[in-house]
Amino acid sequence: MKFAPLILKHLRKNWIRTLSTVLAMAVCIFLICTLQTVVDAVNYGLHLGNASRLVTRHYVSLVFNLPNNYEAKIAAVTGVKNITIVTWFGGMYRGDLKYFFPNLAVEPEKFLAIYPEIMLPEDQKQAWFHDGRGCIIGRKLAEKWGWKVGDAFQLESFIPPYRVGKPFEFVIDGIYDTDLVKYPATDLTAMYFNYKYLYEATGEKTGVGTLTELIDDPSHAGAISKAIDAEFENSDTQTKTETEQQFIAGFVAMAGNLALLLNGIGLAVAFTILLVTANTMSIAVRERQQEIGVLKTLGFPSGLVMALILVEALLLGAMGGALGLLLAGGAIRVLPSVPYIGDVVRQFPGLGLSSRIVTYGLGTALLLGLLAGFVPALLAYRARITEVLRQL
Amino acid sequence: MSTTNTVTTTAVSVQNVRKVYQRDSIQIKVLDGINLEVQQGEFVALMGPSGSGKTTLLNLIAGIDRVTSGKVVVAGTDLTPLSEGELAKWRSRNIGFIFQFYNLIPVLNAVENVELPLLLTPLSGRERRERAMTALRIVGLEDRAKHYPRQLSGGQEQRVAIARAVVTDPTVLVADEPTGDLDHQSAEEILTLMETFNKEFHKTILMVTHDPRAAAKARIQHHLDKGVLSN
Ligand SMILES: Nc1ncnc2c1ncn2[C@@H]1O[C@H](COP(=O)(O)OP(=O)(O)O)[C@@H](O)[C@H]1O
Ligand SMILES: [Mg+2]
Repeated sequence: MKFAPLILKHLRKNWIRTLSTVLAMAVCIFLICTLQTVVDAVNYGLHLGNASRLVTRHYVSLVFNLPNNYEAKIAAVTGVKNITIVTWFGGMYRGDLKYFFPNLAVEPEKFLAIYPEIMLPEDQKQAWFHDGRGCIIGRKLAEKWGWKVGDAFQLESFIPPYRVGKPFEFVIDGIYDTDLVKYPATDLTAMYFNYKYLYEATGEKTGVGTLTELIDDPSHAGAISKAIDAEFENSDTQTKTETEQQFIAGFVAMAGNLALLLNGIGLAVAFTILLVTANTMSIAVRERQQEIGVLKTLGFPSGLVMALILVEALLLGAMGGALGLLLAGGAIRVLPSVPYIGDVVRQFPGLGLSSRIVTYGLGTALLLGLLAGFVPALLAYRARITEVLRQL
Repeated sequence: MSTTNTVTTTAVSVQNVRKVYQRDSIQIKVLDGINLEVQQGEFVALMGPSGSGKTTLLNLIAGIDRVTSGKVVVAGTDLTPLSEGELAKWRSRNIGFIFQFYNLIPVLNAVENVELPLLLTPLSGRERRERAMTALRIVGLEDRAKHYPRQLSGGQEQRVAIARAVVTDPTVLVADEPTGDLDHQSAEEILTLMETFNKEFHKTILMVTHDPRAAAKARIQHHLDKGVLSN
């Protein structure tokens, strides 16, 4: 493009202005893309659940357990095909939250029947069914700690009723995998053990955290949920039943709200950058009245003069966008290994700078450049030679 | 236009031109019935007091402003009915501009400034560079090709501007007080250069000036006063 030197030399001549605008743009695109990636991960989490599974919990809060006799009552509700206890144990490896991985107390046989995505060799399944202190762990968790079948480890819960004075001891009976094509969202970092162990170790006093039901028809989910909750309407402990999807949705709603807030921040930053860039461009163009007059005098069509300014603004956007994406890509790669933040981020499978977000980030940068350059370019388009060059 | 150009010997024909500026409710009559004929290859000086409309007349002839009434025919083309876009295209082919304050683009070096009008032609990058260098050689600044305007003296800047004006080989050169910002010595060089282009390259030149010494270089002098032209 033969006009490139003119554009590039302007950017280079005012390199401080160019650099600061590009950096501001880069920070903006970095923020937007990183935030959007996290938002995407959260939204992806919303689809983790299965519509043919319902989750029943304490009406007031997840913090409270349900009575043990609820399981049988719910199993009797029409449409419920199977049911298992799923209780969040809150066990900390090495007694430190830093080494946290999800660990849940379940009923092994029913649990595996309800969760086909948890895939185990038959012998490991049988071993687990018959081992009171046995557990199964996900492939990724096993790889992380170098654990093999037969290894033992201890967990200490941070939940007061489960703190029984000594850590729980577990033996690994199986390492589960999944079919990532069919069940891409399956968590391979979790650990499941027999609820009976928890029940007995706590002196048979603990209730169940949640109950997961497999139902005969996902389209009846609403009706069956209502039927289950109706069962306990007049009891001391009322329940709240929803599909696993809704349950997860509620679980990440807080994160979702946070995402909304973060997106709002991103939008505000983008708007600020728009103003900064628009200012840069209008100063640049105002300083260039003489040049615009000369170009037009020499016969440059007004449209070309306008295009030169738009391209300059687009270039600022493109450079800022590219740099911002580079930063975002780096941050997203580093994020999972950052202490604490990493623990949260790792929960979202497939975290990465998707092509959609790259497009989105670059598009935003170019749009910001275009918007910023539009008014100055239009003024240049309209500028009359006799007015910008009073002296021929 | 270039074909008619060779048929006629009249380079510029200004016919009964009036120019009125409208400022709010006030009408400023700048040119009041101007008639001017310039033959091809002539070197014409336009003189007159400040504010007499010299620049305005030059702008009309160069196709960057429009008449209120009357007709301007330059290089065989009637400019009156042309659109903005057509005028721009016409200017790029027919007019070379020389300004009082040189008006070089500060971010471009000398040769890039000279090349600028050629960007509108279909010439290749190499051809453009060659032509620009040739033009710089003619004005004696080949060795300053990579210098930026701020690294040049006023006289050198004006010579680069002249190179830019002639690089497209236009029919008519218009110059608005080309020596107005220069010391005596540089002014002399510029005028000599313009004479050269007139004599050797047969360029038609219209030069506005109020320096009598400059006007003396021209073969024909016109005086503009209160919107009326006299010889
Ligand atoms: N764009 C314009 N709007 C209004 N008045 C103008 C404009 N351009 C020039 N004039 C007026 O026209 C008159 C002639 O201006 P000009 O042609 O520049 O004179 P000269 O070049 O002879 O000094 C002046 O009175 C000037 O104020
Ligand atoms: Mg003037």
